[in-house]
Amino acid sequence: MGRQVAIISAGFSEHASKRSDVNMAELVNEAVNDCLKKVPSLSIKDIDAYVNGNMPAFEGANLPELWMTDWLGARNKPLIRVTTGGTTGGSVGIAGYYSVAAGLPGIDTVLAVAFEQQSQGDTSIGLSSVALGEISVLNTLGLPYEYLTRLMSAGGAIGLASYQAANYMNKSKIREEDLARVVVQNRRNAAKTWWSHLKMPNLTIEEVLDTPYISYPLRYGMVCPASDGACAVLFTTEEKAKDLCDTPVYVNGVASVAHESVIIGYDASGSAQLDPSEQLGAMKSSEIAYNQAGISFPRKEIDYAEVYSPFPNQELMWVEKLGLFEENTAPEMYENEVTSLNGELPICCSGGVNATNAIGASALERPAVAALQIMGKASNQVPKTVHTAIGHGWGGMLNLCTMMVLSDQQQRKWR
Amino acid sequence: MERVGIVGYYQVKLYSNANYGRYEMIFEAVRGALDSAELKKKDITTVVSCTNDYYDGRTISNAFTVEVGGAYLEDESKVEMDGAHAVLYGLMRILSGNHKLAVIWGGSMASCFPYHSARLYETDPTWERPVAYVNDITASGFQMRAYMEKYNVDIEEIAKISVKNRKNASKNPLALEEAQNANLSVNDILNSEIYADPVRELMVAQPCDGVAALLLAPEKQALKITDKPVWITGVGYNQETYYLGDRDLSISNSMELAGKMAFDAAGIKEPKNEINIAELFEAYAHEELIFSEALGLAEKGKGSELNSEIDGDLPINPSGGAQGGNPPCATGLIRIIEAAKQLRGEANGYQVKGAKKAVASGQIGMCAQNNIVYVLEGGD
Amino acid sequence: MSEKIIVANKGFVRAEFSFWVGRYMDKFYDAFENKKIIGNKCPKCEKRFVPPRKICGECYEEIIFDKNWVDLPDTGILLNYTITPYKVTDRTSRKVKKSQIIGMIQIEGSDTAIVYKLLNMEPEDISLGMKVKAEWEEKPIGNSADIKGFVKI
Repeated sequence: MGRQVAIISAGFSEHASKRSDVNMAELVNEAVNDCLKKVPSLSIKDIDAYVNGNMPAFEGANLPELWMTDWLGARNKPLIRVTTGGTTGGSVGIAGYYSVAAGLPGIDTVLAVAFEQQSQGDTSIGLSSVALGEISVLNTLGLPYEYLTRLMSAGGAIGLASYQAANYMNKSKIREEDLARVVVQNRRNAAKTWWSHLKMPNLTIEEVLDTPYISYPLRYGMVCPASDGACAVLFTTEEKAKDLCDTPVYVNGVASVAHESVIIGYDASGSAQLDPSEQLGAMKSSEIAYNQAGISFPRKEIDYAEVYSPFPNQELMWVEKLGLFEENTAPEMYENEVTSLNGELPICCSGGVNATNAIGASALERPAVAALQIMGKASNQVPKTVHTAIGHGWGGMLNLCTMMVLSDQQQRKWR
Repeated sequence: MERVGIVGYYQVKLYSNANYGRYEMIFEAVRGALDSAELKKKDITTVVSCTNDYYDGRTISNAFTVEVGGAYLEDESKVEMDGAHAVLYGLMRILSGNHKLAVIWGGSMASCFPYHSARLYETDPTWERPVAYVNDITASGFQMRAYMEKYNVDIEEIAKISVKNRKNASKNPLALEEAQNANLSVNDILNSEIYADPVRELMVAQPCDGVAALLLAPEKQALKITDKPVWITGVGYNQETYYLGDRDLSISNSMELAGKMAFDAAGIKEPKNEINIAELFEAYAHEELIFSEALGLAEKGKGSELNSEIDGDLPINPSGGAQGGNPPCATGLIRIIEAAKQLRGEANGYQVKGAKKAVASGQIGMCAQNNIVYVLEGGD
Repeated sequence: MSEKIIVANKGFVRAEFSFWVGRYMDKFYDAFENKKIIGNKCPKCEKRFVPPRKICGECYEEIIFDKNWVDLPDTGILLNYTITPYKVTDRTSRKVKKSQIIGMIQIEGSDTAIVYKLLNMEPEDISLGMKVKAEWEEKPIGNSADIKGFVKI
């Protein structure tokens, strides 16, 4: 039951804060074409099925893939839509994997496309509508609206993320300088990635710290931008991959384990997830994905990682939670350049989400870049050979997480 | 294709304005499905939900449904289409070998949001949406007129479908109360108010509140969980082009292609003779005719000649179909559940005799732009 | 008997969206400002689209922006129509007193149809295949509402 799946190509559109030269459909088409042109022996006719996703609230368009059918090349083809908030891209990638792994007759090559054109809408409204229902219940209990928006949904994700940051900083005793260092590494990496948004080749820690606070401990200079962009990844079977690609990248482990929403539960009831830096869901996701991929010592066996961190404190937290570094050692790994392009375990050499965040697409871009690094075709390619890499996504009410473990060897362990 | 079995299901009673909240509804559906199979939360390995951010009025509509959907610390994901598409994703997860029990649930509460406005957001924002002439209401009128003109079908024949489905719904205790009526005549349907000429109000599947859930397991596990598993032997899904002006609305191209994909996988050569019962998601009465023709259950233009009553040659929608209640994101899933009920002999009051092979369908988009078809067998 | 207490929380969240139309639609709407309809043509299958598109769905061929434009008249034939009392907007859908007639019109020379209101007509006047002509706003501003509707000719 089930088949080995490989990624043979990944494409991107140009990301910018305002892609005013294209509408949503044309933006997606850019990524689809970029993906397909890297596999010249394949044409759009050879795509058997599609998976598509974005965060619909940011564009004010419901089910946009219905409109974009022709621009995706999906006319009269099978297509499903998967959306899970911030992890949409990761879920789209995982659904692309399952579409091939399932072995439905005739479905061998699947194109997974995720995108976002945030400049068309109001990002903070889109984000705050995650919890507006719960906030109104709290209003009824006597808490005023302004108080709640300042506490929780001020900027949506950043309100909750600052809780996460404060909890983490308390446990790990990191300083703001450590946060700024992560930002500098990411944005300097982004300068060498053709499709990224915030390209800052000469950014320094002082420049990052010289910006005002949005919500302690996060400063303006540290948070991710809102970008317009799209990403497409091509999945196929092991047999076809060997003919179409020099270095097929095998998808060996996938998982997307969910936790309870953080701090506030549904209908404003309580939640058991009080410490958002604990991330039981992410830890279980990585456990499942590593098990599937036959990885027992992630620190030694993983050569490259793309983690999803719009805020720098999350990058430090994720690399520990996902088993890449020991607890509380992440800051010194960044300081000692273990995570840099030439280091032992490079992290986010594309600039990560901190430099480019088209929310629907960013969680797909993480495994996409990881795959390109394994193929040796990434824009900011690491010099060492990458055999095993991970692409990770995060989102929801700090409770959703996606993991994809990729390798140049078929290591999927069957039960 | 390896066999995957439906081993449990549950559907909440449909209401136009349910008296309880969506989280309780979701819990009732998922808990009910698990109880029907005598399974526990710890047996779940994956949950796939189906909700729509615009219908729920919430971005990331699955963020808060983790606990009630049985997905706490479980591998979960969300499909944003019809519940039947979520079943497809659950099916793919089982077929991949990574999972042993999938819970699929979907639904929404149409009483809590302006349904037609949310559907308007599906239209092309650069061209059609500002003037709003293309919306799900007008699209239904275009589709019905196109079908009637092309094949010279009388409006009475289409009204008969509504009469039949609403009569069937009256025997289905879970259907929407407003839709249950065994005493309607063709004239009652034709005299009801105009929705989008030639469509009448009583030909429209009313959006309502509801959630449904079902459980999937691979063959080996399915045989251990229940002695009446319903096998999914074929599935097909397809999306046609978007602009109404590019499409032939008198047929359903995507339903034809989806049906072909499903029938090929299930080894069905002559659907008309091999299928015993069909549960099709017909958002309007005329769609039942268009779909039955697209699936080869009748010849093009001759859908009305098929005897699709419960005791007829090929019963279609013995549960009342979507005319019996259309909870957005759940309707297709409910069609699969109703087909499974028929195969297991559990459709009390509206059971089709000797049902062995069934077809169930779901759809999404204007005039059913994306269709999904399942072939189900077994149950005994 | 316990009293049912219902609490209603009324609020208003304003969310504004503006959509980039892309270069093709931009040029299309520029023509609208001059009360002209233009479309583009697929270089492979020669199908003509209005509004213009970057990709021909059938061929998956890119219709290059600098060429392939076609001028089209603002007349066409009526392919389909419906009459509905419902008016749907972004926030509500409600019944209005005077039902609207909405038609699918194939602009002459194009291979697709556009959907617009039919004006100054009673249902008895309509027949499929009849010729219709666009009625423009006095001062078009370059969006889809510049065409008020189509009238019978």
